[in-house]
Amino acid sequence: MISAGRESTFATRFALGLLTFLATVLLGGFAASALVRYSPGFDIDENAWNPHLSAVTVAARHARLETENGLPRFYLRYLSRAAHGDFGKSEAFNLPVSELLKNRVLVSASLLTGGTLGGLVLGGLLAWLAVWPRRVILEIPAAVASGLLLAVPPAVLALFFFFREWPLWLAVALALLPRVFGTARSLLGTWYASPALLAARARGLGSATLATRYVLAPAAPQLAALVGVAVVLAFGSLIPIEGLCDVPGLGQLALKGALARDLPLLSALGLIITALVAGVQWLGDLAR
Amino acid sequence: MAGGPRPMTRLAVTLLCLVVVLGLAAPWLAPHPYAQQIREFTTTAPQPGFPMGLDDLGRDRLSRLLYATRVSVLLAPAAATISILVALLLSALAATPSRTLRWSLSLGNSIFLSLPWIFLFIILRAKLPLNTDPVVSVTLTFALMGVAGWAVPSRAFTASILGMKDAGWLLQARAAGLKPWRIATSHAWPHLWALALAQFRILIPAYVLSEASLGLLGLGVADPMPSWGNLLQDLQHPDVVQANPWTLAPLGLLVFVMICLEVLAPSRKVAL
Amino acid sequence: MKPLLLLLPLVLSAAGPQQLRFAIQGDPRTFDVLMAAESNSETVRYLTAGVLVRVNRTTDVVQPELAESFLVKEAGRAITFKLRPGLQFSDGAPLTAADVERTLRRALDPQSGSPTGDTLRAGDAVPAITVAGPREITLRYKAPKPNIDRLFDSVGITPATQAKLPTSSGAFFVAEYQPGSFVLLRRNPHYFKRDPQGVQLPYLDSIRLDIQQNRDIELTRFERGELHLINKIDADGYANLSRSGTRHATSLGSSLDSEFLWFNQAPAKTLPDWKHTWFTSATFRHAISAAIRREDMARIVFKGHAHPAVGPISPANRFWVNASLKPLPTDAKASLSELTKEGFTLREGILRDKAGHPVEFSLITQAGNRPRERMASLVADDLKAIGVKVNVVTLDFGSMLDRIAKSLDYEAALLGFANVEADPSEEMNVWLSSGAQHAWWPAQKTPGTPWEARIDQLELNQAAEATRAARKKLVDEFQKIVRDQEPIIYLLNPDYLVAVAPSLKGVVPTVVPPQILWNAEWLRLE
Repeated sequence: MISAGRESTFATRFALGLLTFLATVLLGGFAASALVRYSPGFDIDENAWNPHLSAVTVAARHARLETENGLPRFYLRYLSRAAHGDFGKSEAFNLPVSELLKNRVLVSASLLTGGTLGGLVLGGLLAWLAVWPRRVILEIPAAVASGLLLAVPPAVLALFFFFREWPLWLAVALALLPRVFGTARSLLGTWYASPALLAARARGLGSATLATRYVLAPAAPQLAALVGVAVVLAFGSLIPIEGLCDVPGLGQLALKGALARDLPLLSALGLIITALVAGVQWLGDLAR
Repeated sequence: MAGGPRPMTRLAVTLLCLVVVLGLAAPWLAPHPYAQQIREFTTTAPQPGFPMGLDDLGRDRLSRLLYATRVSVLLAPAAATISILVALLLSALAATPSRTLRWSLSLGNSIFLSLPWIFLFIILRAKLPLNTDPVVSVTLTFALMGVAGWAVPSRAFTASILGMKDAGWLLQARAAGLKPWRIATSHAWPHLWALALAQFRILIPAYVLSEASLGLLGLGVADPMPSWGNLLQDLQHPDVVQANPWTLAPLGLLVFVMICLEVLAPSRKVAL
Repeated sequence: MKPLLLLLPLVLSAAGPQQLRFAIQGDPRTFDVLMAAESNSETVRYLTAGVLVRVNRTTDVVQPELAESFLVKEAGRAITFKLRPGLQFSDGAPLTAADVERTLRRALDPQSGSPTGDTLRAGDAVPAITVAGPREITLRYKAPKPNIDRLFDSVGITPATQAKLPTSSGAFFVAEYQPGSFVLLRRNPHYFKRDPQGVQLPYLDSIRLDIQQNRDIELTRFERGELHLINKIDADGYANLSRSGTRHATSLGSSLDSEFLWFNQAPAKTLPDWKHTWFTSATFRHAISAAIRREDMARIVFKGHAHPAVGPISPANRFWVNASLKPLPTDAKASLSELTKEGFTLREGILRDKAGHPVEFSLITQAGNRPRERMASLVADDLKAIGVKVNVVTLDFGSMLDRIAKSLDYEAALLGFANVEADPSEEMNVWLSSGAQHAWWPAQKTPGTPWEARIDQLELNQAAEATRAARKKLVDEFQKIVRDQEPIIYLLNPDYLVAVAPSLKGVVPTVVPPQILWNAEWLRLE
């Protein structure tokens, strides 16, 4: 992303990347908190419309919520506490945010890992089939399958799996597949046609050696970046998928938190999401 | 994939045009207004006069699908255009010599890519004056999608602008004493224009999908105006789908259009 | 494969043959029975809170529970409870009058924000509490407190320390909680109650409350036998269950709940003067009300499982409803002729007021609440017939609250109340003009209209009367005023629909919450 001139060394690129990463996380986290803080209905208690409660009681319940009015001050204090692992108390769930995250991160992580791995494996395999054996008979069905999957909204795919009670990670994997497929196929294609490989093939090296030494090894940095992008893509689909399919993970937490204007919870999630996205971008830039 | 229009491309363009025409002609083609409630028939399977049946409020499904198509085929390209315009404007910063400015651009880009956008749609819906015309509100929803999406094409533009700086033709042009604005208009612009067109074709399907996801979550286009996204909400109720398979029609049309768009998409990434 | 299959029954039986399973729609916010304010926490409260007395939901008689007897004294100003001997919390600690006193004081503390405190207080006044020995406690109010015995139905006695999973004084206690996933209740081994054969209650070993937001999945799981009951099933689900042939779904008839809409009558800056004039006109409100076809609404939105509403009290609330009030006529033509008397004219399909402003307003309702979204759509369509344009806007609940309770920047809103008790005092905050939920113009310093002043009077007076008969007279007059003025246009009283698996025995369902679960200690699985 950043051109530090022709003389840029890996070290300067790394340092700049780190700076960008930190600034993104801090500012992105702040922007996320600001979105919550200034959305309508932020400072109103959900019990404001509960006729069974008196005004005194509503006020008492509301007073127990986090009431820091100046956002910058809230954010600074929040950051300093977050640095010590204290992400505040979620208002919507009435539980410490760190506990909520701990409870839910496993659910999302398994969906994410299964989905990303599945997507990478399936997409990679399909790309391999499309490129390596050089057979149209494999290339076309692979491309058609990938194209079809790309055309279906991930949330619809997930809903379908949900009602069939099939594993949801598979839906995530299938939603990722075409995205992985496209990139992997072009990467593999490029390296496949590289002169070094052609020369090696001419020398009569075995196809396994060819594959690892001349295709996978040179493509490794980009493939690593691809893994990162796949994780981010999968993460992005967590909100609709978990929200629609009753998965008690981070995505559902984010959606419920958003609807309840849960500032501490969403500030934490904002930090996590920006860190993830910015981290992957940094990785991608380094791989370039 | 290079070369002149292949038969697949031609077919895709034809089919897409057909869908666009269907959408544009919705007011004339649709047998009923999209919000008309025919109360004697609610949640009814297809029958004479209502080839796709009626929804739970007695509204003709076919008419709603046609109008929804109109919303999506008009507004997804519009949103893509907005994204590209914003991205082009901001990416121009990459051409400046100031390193700080360039860094800010890249920073802004990263931040925009990682913001929880769902919130903005909640806020938009909540903040709009209540008597806003539905057409205005739908347009704003897509416009917001467009503005929010600038960061993706911007990355491509920035990379391309940075790449030009080191390009041989630029050095030659400079050496030949060409003025900067001349270089920009006659040399740099064609490069960017081609890139913008490519990005445009990538963004349209992306926005069609985004609208579908937002609609499914109930954050997209608001009832009674139909859109592909909010028509997909029926899919959340398997019994409704079972009772009338035509509830799948919006999904079918969406997938169909997406496939056509993929065929037209520029890179090998999504080639068919 | 085979060994796995053989293990399966073992795994199932490990859950206990007497495990009741059902779904709640979200995480309970608290397990502290004094703090429960939303339906999921309330469900847990009903199952875990030991109460001094309980109102029998079918006979409406106040029965002793933790108290072995009670005595209402001093013309309804005081009540004395005598606790059963040897009461224990679920961890075996003794439960004495001191625990009751501490519970009451905690609830009454205005800082605690306890909804239970609201029921116990009389206005701002707090009763005096005297403990006479480990088994006797007396509460004394300055003035007669209506329902002084019944209100203890909702006061769960809590232990000295509030752990995350508190010990309980009721039939079950919270044994495990997986946020977003389930709440597991186990039977309280120290529960005092026994059946006539001397068997200790509850019959059930445990109750598993699965947190399951998706109602379609809940239904599927019920049909498969994974869940034993659905405490409140929507009309679509009910129709599906009836269609699929497994007829375990029952309608309990009209519920206490109501669905309604109202116009913003507050002098809000955002509201143009002419709209304020329409909305404050009872004729206008009657005309709108009369143009709404409630039968269509009941048929289309609730599949016939709802009834046109007459007023603030549901006909299901047999004692308190004013049976002499007949529904207002619903007829678009009559409604138009009423409007013309006020200078409105209908030309080319557009209704205009005296000054020529076309009649158009926005109607906000809760996004994601399917019945309400549909009702709003139907209202908009009905009003087209009298030339009124309605813009339906669905908002997420937070944004909606912001408008109706804080900024007052809205024109009309459609919502509903789910009533948890039959007593009309429950909606006091809605009807007092100073109330925060006085929908059409909240928190007024002095009543804005004479009829609101009269309602204030009636509400306060009925709450000070000791006898139900005397209160009923005042409540009847209140209902008449509400019908004559229609500040809130009542639409429907939905029926209460439940589904109970045939294996679940001992169910005595009622429309008063908690419909199926009120006698949970008597439920058993066969």
